[in-house]
Amino acid sequence: MAERAQYTPGPANGAHIQKEADKWTLVLVRELRHSPEKVWQALTDPAHLREWAPFDADGNLGTAEASVKLTTIGAPTPLVSETKVTRAVPPQVLEYNWGSFEMRWQLEAIAGGTRLTLWHNIDRRFIAMGAAGWHICLDVLDRLLGGTPIGRMVGPDAIKFGGWQRLHAEYAQQFGVEMPKWPPKPAQNS
Amino acid sequence: MKIKLTTVYVDDQEKALRFYTEVLGFAKKADFSNGPYRWLTVASPEEPNGTELQLALNNNPPAKAFQQAIFQQNQPGAMFFTDDIKGDYERIRARGAEFTLPPTDATGSTIAMLKDTCGNLIQLTQLARRSA
Repeated sequence: MAERAQYTPGPANGAHIQKEADKWTLVLVRELRHSPEKVWQALTDPAHLREWAPFDADGNLGTAEASVKLTTIGAPTPLVSETKVTRAVPPQVLEYNWGSFEMRWQLEAIAGGTRLTLWHNIDRRFIAMGAAGWHICLDVLDRLLGGTPIGRMVGPDAIKFGGWQRLHAEYAQQFGVEMPKWPPKPAQNS
Repeated sequence: MKIKLTTVYVDDQEKALRFYTEVLGFAKKADFSNGPYRWLTVASPEEPNGTELQLALNNNPPAKAFQQAIFQQNQPGAMFFTDDIKGDYERIRARGAEFTLPPTDATGSTIAMLKDTCGNLIQLTQLARRSA
Protein backbone atom coordinates (compact mmCIF):
# COMPACT_ATOMS: atom_id res chain seq x y z
CA MET A 1 0.00 0.00 0.00
CA ALA A 2 2.01 2.92 -1.30
CA GLU A 3 -0.64 5.33 -0.04
CA ARG A 4 0.07 4.32 3.53
CA ALA A 5 3.68 5.45 3.41
CA GLN A 6 2.56 8.86 2.16
CA TYR A 7 -0.19 9.30 4.73
CA THR A 8 0.29 12.18 7.16
CA PRO A 9 -2.59 13.16 9.43
CA GLY A 10 -3.75 16.75 9.48
CA PRO A 11 -3.54 18.89 12.61
CA ALA A 12 -5.50 18.05 15.74
CA ASN A 13 -8.98 19.27 15.00
CA GLY A 14 -12.65 18.65 15.73
CA ALA A 15 -12.30 17.24 19.24
CA HIS A 16 -13.25 18.55 22.63
CA ILE A 17 -13.91 17.22 26.11
CA GLN A 18 -17.16 17.20 28.03
CA LYS A 19 -16.48 17.21 31.75
CA GLU A 20 -18.94 16.01 34.36
CA ALA A 21 -17.04 15.96 37.65
CA ASP A 22 -14.54 13.10 37.31
CA LYS A 23 -16.10 11.69 34.18
CA TRP A 24 -14.54 13.05 31.03
CA THR A 25 -15.92 12.31 27.61
CA LEU A 26 -14.04 12.76 24.39
CA VAL A 27 -16.23 14.23 21.66
CA LEU A 28 -14.89 13.91 18.15
CA VAL A 29 -16.65 15.38 15.13
CA ARG A 30 -15.69 14.48 11.59
CA GLU A 31 -17.30 15.19 8.24
CA LEU A 32 -17.02 12.31 5.80
CA ARG A 33 -17.74 12.43 2.09
CA HIS A 34 -19.86 9.30 2.27
CA SER A 35 -23.53 8.60 2.92
CA PRO A 36 -24.78 7.77 6.44
CA GLU A 37 -25.73 4.28 5.18
CA LYS A 38 -22.17 3.62 4.07
CA VAL A 39 -20.70 4.99 7.28
CA TRP A 40 -23.19 2.94 9.32
CA GLN A 41 -22.03 -0.23 7.64
CA ALA A 42 -18.41 0.63 8.38
CA LEU A 43 -19.28 1.16 12.07
CA THR A 44 -21.18 -2.09 12.48
CA ASP A 45 -20.01 -4.75 10.02
CA PRO A 46 -17.09 -6.86 11.37
CA ALA A 47 -15.52 -7.09 7.90
CA HIS A 48 -15.43 -3.29 7.71
CA LEU A 49 -14.35 -2.76 11.31
CA ARG A 50 -11.34 -5.00 10.70
CA GLU A 51 -10.12 -2.50 8.10
CA TRP A 52 -10.05 0.57 10.34
CA ALA A 53 -11.24 0.13 13.97
CA PRO A 54 -9.02 -0.39 17.03
CA PHE A 55 -10.86 -3.65 17.74
CA ASP A 56 -12.18 -6.71 15.96
CA ALA A 57 -15.82 -7.68 16.47
CA ASP A 58 -17.10 -11.24 16.30
CA GLY A 59 -20.56 -10.12 15.27
CA ASN A 60 -22.50 -7.22 13.81
CA LEU A 61 -22.91 -4.20 16.09
CA GLY A 62 -25.92 -2.85 14.22
CA THR A 63 -28.74 -4.41 16.29
CA ALA A 64 -29.84 -3.28 19.73
CA GLU A 65 -29.33 -5.92 22.46
CA ALA A 66 -26.72 -7.74 20.37
CA SER A 67 -23.91 -9.29 22.42
CA VAL A 68 -20.59 -9.02 20.63
CA LYS A 69 -17.03 -9.76 21.68
CA LEU A 70 -14.56 -6.97 20.90
CA THR A 71 -10.88 -7.86 20.74
CA THR A 72 -8.58 -4.90 21.35
CA ILE A 73 -5.84 -4.87 18.71
CA GLY A 74 -2.30 -4.75 20.00
CA ALA A 75 -3.04 -4.99 23.74
CA PRO A 76 0.07 -6.25 25.56
CA THR A 77 -1.87 -9.29 26.73
CA PRO A 78 -4.99 -10.55 24.93
CA LEU A 79 -8.09 -8.56 25.84
CA VAL A 80 -11.57 -9.58 24.76
CA SER A 81 -14.43 -7.42 26.03
CA GLU A 82 -18.03 -8.59 26.16
CA THR A 83 -20.08 -5.85 24.60
CA LYS A 84 -23.74 -5.08 24.63
CA VAL A 85 -25.26 -2.86 21.96
CA THR A 86 -27.55 -0.60 23.97
CA ARG A 87 -28.94 1.46 21.10
CA ALA A 88 -28.95 1.01 17.33
CA VAL A 89 -31.00 3.28 15.09
CA PRO A 90 -29.63 2.82 11.57
CA PRO A 91 -28.19 4.95 10.12
CA GLN A 92 -28.30 7.54 12.92
CA VAL A 93 -27.27 6.43 16.39
CA LEU A 94 -25.19 3.54 17.71
CA GLU A 95 -24.34 2.96 21.36
CA TYR A 96 -22.38 0.17 23.01
CA ASN A 97 -19.74 -0.31 25.65
CA TRP A 98 -16.08 -1.06 25.05
CA GLY A 99 -14.75 -2.51 28.27
CA SER A 100 -15.83 -0.09 30.98
CA PHE A 101 -16.20 2.77 28.48
CA GLU A 102 -19.39 3.93 26.83
CA MET A 103 -19.30 4.72 23.15
CA ARG A 104 -21.89 6.67 21.21
CA TRP A 105 -21.80 7.32 17.49
CA GLN A 106 -24.14 9.79 15.83
CA LEU A 107 -24.49 10.10 12.06
CA GLU A 108 -26.11 13.18 10.53
CA ALA A 109 -26.74 13.52 6.81
CA ILE A 110 -25.17 16.71 5.48
CA ALA A 111 -24.71 17.98 1.94
CA GLY A 112 -22.27 15.60 0.29
CA GLY A 113 -21.92 13.16 3.15
CA THR A 114 -22.15 12.52 6.87
CA ARG A 115 -21.26 14.41 10.00
CA LEU A 116 -20.03 11.70 12.33
CA THR A 117 -19.78 12.40 16.06
CA LEU A 118 -18.21 10.05 18.57
CA TRP A 119 -18.61 10.30 22.35
CA HIS A 120 -16.17 8.09 24.25
CA ASN A 121 -15.66 8.46 28.00
CA ILE A 122 -11.96 7.65 28.09
CA ASP A 123 -10.08 8.03 31.36
CA ARG A 124 -8.73 11.59 31.47
CA ARG A 125 -5.08 10.47 31.62
CA PHE A 126 -5.41 8.75 28.28
CA ILE A 127 -7.92 11.01 26.60
CA ALA A 128 -5.36 12.76 24.35
CA MET A 129 -4.06 9.36 23.24
CA GLY A 130 -7.60 8.30 22.48
CA ALA A 131 -8.21 11.45 20.45
CA ALA A 132 -5.03 10.89 18.43
CA GLY A 133 -5.93 7.24 17.88
CA TRP A 134 -9.48 7.96 16.75
CA HIS A 135 -8.25 10.82 14.54
CA ILE A 136 -6.09 8.37 12.61
CA CYS A 137 -8.77 5.66 12.62
CA LEU A 138 -11.24 8.09 11.06
CA ASP A 139 -8.70 9.09 8.41
CA VAL A 140 -8.24 5.41 7.60
CA LEU A 141 -12.03 4.97 7.55
CA ASP A 142 -12.45 7.92 5.18
CA ARG A 143 -9.94 6.44 2.74
CA LEU A 144 -11.44 2.98 3.05
CA LEU A 145 -14.89 4.27 2.14
CA GLY A 146 -13.37 6.33 -0.65
CA GLY A 147 -11.99 3.19 -2.25
CA THR A 148 -8.31 3.92 -1.55
CA PRO A 149 -7.65 1.98 1.68
CA ILE A 150 -4.33 2.59 3.43
CA GLY A 151 -4.72 -0.22 5.98
CA ARG A 152 -5.67 -0.21 9.62
CA MET A 153 -3.32 1.79 11.87
CA VAL A 154 -3.99 1.00 15.54
CA GLY A 155 -2.23 -0.12 18.71
CA PRO A 156 1.53 -0.45 18.24
CA ASP A 157 1.35 0.58 14.57
CA ALA A 158 -0.17 3.89 15.61
CA ILE A 159 2.18 4.52 18.51
CA LYS A 160 5.29 3.98 16.38
CA PHE A 161 3.90 6.38 13.82
CA GLY A 162 5.25 9.92 14.03
CA GLY A 163 1.88 11.33 13.02
CA TRP A 164 0.25 9.76 16.06
CA GLN A 165 2.89 11.15 18.40
CA ARG A 166 2.43 14.63 16.98
CA LEU A 167 -1.37 14.40 17.29
CA HIS A 168 -1.06 13.09 20.84
CA ALA A 169 1.00 16.14 21.80
CA GLU A 170 -1.36 18.51 19.99
CA TYR A 171 -4.49 17.08 21.60
CA ALA A 172 -2.83 17.01 25.02
CA GLN A 173 -2.09 20.70 24.59
CA GLN A 174 -5.62 21.50 23.38
CA PHE A 175 -7.17 19.61 26.29
CA GLY A 176 -4.66 20.90 28.85
CA VAL A 177 -3.64 17.42 30.00
CA GLU A 178 -0.23 15.91 30.62
CA MET A 179 1.07 13.18 28.36
CA PRO A 180 1.81 9.84 30.05
CA LYS A 181 5.55 9.18 30.23
CA TRP A 182 5.07 6.07 28.19
CA PRO A 183 6.10 4.39 26.02
CA PRO A 184 9.72 4.99 27.02
CA LYS A 185 12.15 6.01 24.30
CA PRO A 186 13.37 2.90 22.52
CA ALA A 187 16.77 1.66 23.61
CA GLN A 188 19.58 2.11 21.10
CA ASN A 189 21.02 -0.82 19.19
CA SER A 190 17.90 -2.85 19.76
CA MET B 1 15.66 -14.51 29.52
CA LYS B 2 14.71 -12.79 32.77
CA ILE B 3 11.86 -12.86 35.22
CA LYS B 4 10.90 -9.23 34.95
CA LEU B 5 7.20 -9.14 35.70
CA THR B 6 4.56 -10.92 37.66
CA THR B 7 0.85 -10.26 37.63
CA VAL B 8 -1.94 -9.98 40.16
CA TYR B 9 -5.52 -9.67 39.05
CA VAL B 10 -7.39 -6.85 40.75
CA ASP B 11 -11.06 -5.94 40.64
CA ASP B 12 -10.37 -2.19 40.39
CA GLN B 13 -7.07 -0.84 39.03
CA GLU B 14 -7.42 2.61 40.57
CA LYS B 15 -8.12 1.21 44.01
CA ALA B 16 -5.28 -1.26 43.55
CA LEU B 17 -2.85 1.48 42.59
CA ARG B 18 -3.70 3.37 45.78
CA PHE B 19 -3.30 0.27 47.93
CA TYR B 20 -0.06 -0.94 46.38
CA THR B 21 1.53 2.54 46.52
CA GLU B 22 0.04 4.32 49.54
CA VAL B 23 -0.42 1.33 51.84
CA LEU B 24 2.27 -1.14 50.74
CA GLY B 25 4.74 1.54 49.64
CA PHE B 26 5.54 0.52 46.08
CA ALA B 27 5.98 3.09 43.32
CA LYS B 28 4.05 3.34 40.08
CA LYS B 29 6.24 2.22 37.19
CA ALA B 30 4.21 1.99 33.97
CA ASP B 31 0.75 3.27 33.19
CA PHE B 32 -0.39 2.99 29.62
CA SER B 33 -3.69 2.47 27.90
CA ASN B 34 -4.87 0.97 24.62
CA GLY B 35 -8.64 1.29 24.36
CA PRO B 36 -10.11 -0.40 27.43
CA TYR B 37 -6.75 -2.01 28.17
CA ARG B 38 -4.64 -0.44 30.92
CA TRP B 39 -1.10 -1.67 31.46
CA LEU B 40 -0.34 -0.69 35.04
CA THR B 41 2.71 -1.82 36.98
CA VAL B 42 4.43 -0.97 40.25
CA ALA B 43 7.96 -1.63 41.44
CA SER B 44 9.72 -1.52 44.77
CA PRO B 45 11.47 1.79 45.56
CA GLU B 46 14.32 -0.40 46.88
CA GLU B 47 14.68 -1.87 43.38
CA PRO B 48 13.17 0.60 40.90
CA ASN B 49 14.47 -1.38 37.92
CA GLY B 50 13.70 -4.73 39.48
CA THR B 51 10.79 -7.04 38.91
CA GLU B 52 7.54 -5.25 38.22
CA LEU B 53 4.15 -6.23 39.52
CA GLN B 54 1.36 -5.82 36.99
CA LEU B 55 -2.00 -4.81 38.43
CA ALA B 56 -4.23 -6.39 35.80
CA LEU B 57 -7.96 -5.73 35.68
CA ASN B 58 -9.82 -8.92 36.36
CA ASN B 59 -12.67 -8.65 33.90
CA ASN B 60 -12.21 -12.27 32.95
CA PRO B 61 -14.80 -14.64 34.50
CA PRO B 62 -12.59 -17.77 34.63
CA ALA B 63 -9.73 -15.76 36.14
CA LYS B 64 -12.17 -14.32 38.68
CA ALA B 65 -13.33 -17.80 39.67
CA PHE B 66 -9.71 -18.87 40.14
CA GLN B 67 -8.94 -15.75 42.17
CA GLN B 68 -11.91 -16.25 44.49
CA ALA B 69 -11.15 -19.94 44.95
CA ILE B 70 -7.53 -19.43 45.96
CA PHE B 71 -8.52 -16.51 48.19
CA GLN B 72 -10.93 -18.81 50.05
CA GLN B 73 -8.13 -21.36 50.43
CA ASN B 74 -5.92 -18.67 52.02
CA GLN B 75 -3.50 -18.89 49.13
CA PRO B 76 -1.62 -15.68 48.41
CA GLY B 77 -2.07 -14.01 45.03
CA ALA B 78 1.43 -12.55 45.32
CA MET B 79 4.34 -12.76 47.73
CA PHE B 80 6.80 -10.03 48.66
CA PHE B 81 10.08 -10.45 50.49
CA THR B 82 11.29 -8.19 53.25
CA ASP B 83 14.22 -7.95 55.64
CA ASP B 84 12.00 -6.53 58.38
CA ILE B 85 8.67 -8.28 58.53
CA LYS B 86 7.76 -6.96 61.98
CA GLY B 87 8.48 -3.39 60.94
CA ASP B 88 6.55 -3.78 57.69
CA TYR B 89 3.67 -5.40 59.53
CA GLU B 90 3.38 -2.44 61.91
CA ARG B 91 3.83 0.13 59.16
CA ILE B 92 1.28 -1.43 56.79
CA ARG B 93 -1.22 -2.11 59.56
CA ALA B 94 -0.95 1.50 60.72
CA ARG B 95 -2.03 2.53 57.23
CA GLY B 96 -5.24 0.58 57.62
CA ALA B 97 -4.52 -2.77 55.97
CA GLU B 98 -6.21 -5.85 57.37
CA PHE B 99 -3.86 -8.72 58.19
CA THR B 100 -5.30 -12.23 58.25
CA LEU B 101 -2.04 -13.56 59.73
CA PRO B 102 0.40 -11.56 61.87
CA PRO B 103 4.11 -12.37 61.52
CA THR B 104 4.33 -16.08 62.23
CA ASP B 105 7.23 -18.51 62.11
CA ALA B 106 7.16 -21.04 59.30
CA THR B 107 9.77 -23.43 58.02
CA GLY B 108 12.78 -21.37 57.01
CA SER B 109 10.91 -18.09 57.20
CA THR B 110 8.55 -15.77 58.98
CA ILE B 111 5.36 -15.04 57.09
CA ALA B 112 2.41 -12.67 57.36
CA MET B 113 -0.71 -12.36 55.26
CA LEU B 114 -2.92 -9.38 54.45
CA LYS B 115 -5.84 -8.48 52.22
CA ASP B 116 -5.08 -6.20 49.29
CA THR B 117 -8.74 -4.99 49.17
CA CYS B 118 -8.85 -5.95 45.47
CA GLY B 119 -9.58 -9.65 45.78
CA ASN B 120 -6.22 -11.05 46.86
CA LEU B 121 -4.24 -12.15 49.85
CA ILE B 122 -0.68 -10.91 49.88
CA GLN B 123 2.01 -12.80 51.75
CA LEU B 124 5.02 -11.08 53.25
CA THR B 125 8.00 -13.33 53.75
CA GLN B 126 11.21 -12.84 55.64
CA LEU B 127 13.66 -15.63 55.13
CA ALA B 128 15.32 -16.96 58.26
CA ARG B 129 18.94 -15.86 58.57
CA ARG B 130 21.34 -18.64 58.00
CA SER B 131 23.52 -18.93 61.10
CA ALA B 132 27.19 -18.39 60.36
